[in-house]
Amino acid sequence: MAKYDYVLAKSLDHAVELLNESGIRSIPLAGGTDIYVAIRVNPVWFDRLVDIRRIPELNKVSLDKDQVKFGAAVTFSHAIKNPILLKVAPFLVEACKTIGGPAVRNCGTFGGNVSNAAACADSLPSLVCLEAVAHLCSPKGQRQVKVENLVKGPHETQIETGELLTHFTFQVPPKNAKSCFIKIGRRKAQSISRLSIAVIGAVNPAGMVDYIRVCPGAAVATPVRFPQVEAVLLGKKPNKESITAASEQLVADMIQSTGRRWSTEYKEITLKAIAERSLTKIFLEDGHHVN
Amino acid sequence: MLINFILNHNPVSVDAPADITLLALLRDHFKLTGTKEACEVGECGACSVLLDGELANSCLVAAPSVMGRDVVTIEGIHAEDGGPNDLQRNFIEKGAVQCGFCIPGMVIAGEALLAIKSEPSRLEIREALAGNLCRCTGYMQIVDAIETTAKGRAEKPHPEKREN
Repeated sequence: MAKYDYVLAKSLDHAVELLNESGIRSIPLAGGTDIYVAIRVNPVWFDRLVDIRRIPELNKVSLDKDQVKFGAAVTFSHAIKNPILLKVAPFLVEACKTIGGPAVRNCGTFGGNVSNAAACADSLPSLVCLEAVAHLCSPKGQRQVKVENLVKGPHETQIETGELLTHFTFQVPPKNAKSCFIKIGRRKAQSISRLSIAVIGAVNPAGMVDYIRVCPGAAVATPVRFPQVEAVLLGKKPNKESITAASEQLVADMIQSTGRRWSTEYKEITLKAIAERSLTKIFLEDGHHVN
Repeated sequence: MLINFILNHNPVSVDAPADITLLALLRDHFKLTGTKEACEVGECGACSVLLDGELANSCLVAAPSVMGRDVVTIEGIHAEDGGPNDLQRNFIEKGAVQCGFCIPGMVIAGEALLAIKSEPSRLEIREALAGNLCRCTGYMQIVDAIETTAKGRAEKPHPEKREN
């Protein structure tokens, strides 16, 4: 007797209908790279997998005026090769390159990475910096939630039972913005982030910072922007001193959020280093770089 | 449930439970044991297969999700006469095989790379193998085997080379 059933959703409406069929606990299946790991360690918590990978609109990346839209079933391999994402959000592409190995990237999806909501999920810091909005669909209708708010805690999101995460949108960042993603893992591939950081920023013609978003990964419970860190840089000419001050602020804010834990001794040094490195990259060097 | 797909270039149909992975389907239902079962969490690459030509960890793929798709396992990689193909011969010649457990996955990962990149750099080869663990060789000989195969195929187009 099979522990759970499987059904292939033929369209978006079909998927939502299947997810809401009464008496059957259904969950969406995309790449499977998290689900099949989870059911090795946890008891199966669903009756049926609803496979959403072949729904065409969930696999598209598009640019309409200043808005980028990409489906929840877009894989990391797809993103790495996508010219729109490469142009407008290179730090998101860099983050995708650090996920797992080639086989995992061929299957793993943005929708899965966000809805699994691991504190160390590698696509999340860049999505938070981009102020990406998650679009959710259910029989009650559609709703939109910022990715930063969607994730409530480690492996916990606002997505309700029967709701399907369909796609993400974000506004194209300023044309002169430079971005950077850095991940610290135990090896280059197949490793979970110990810490990561995504930053994107721009300066005005007078050389003052007029756009800055900072989001570390695996530093606090959920990936969030750090407004006090951004405030240290905003309106000032970026230099070594202001970057150091912003990085120290980030460490102070992290400790305020988590308290001093067994890992703090490591994280305070490492977070400061990757914050300085990434901010230096975007403001004092050429940006768009990783590691 | 009935699952129809293309397995090693032949259409197949199998009645299997819905709650198994592609790895279990291949090993337990088709007795294709060249695809190895090891970590079962997508860390080691021993279970690598080509799914619609792309590298995938069969331990993380739902068996029913391959309906209508194209799956190639190590048993589907060989020369026309059924013996080892150029990549597999180079693995032997370069000393890339020791205990052998990771080799089916390594060959699959190598073929996945060579299908999209005819002359990869050594760095690109290493990146392509990043999800495949070998505890014996230290990888150098494996990289050598793939590099030599790429050069050989560039000189003489290989009949089995898939064009994407």
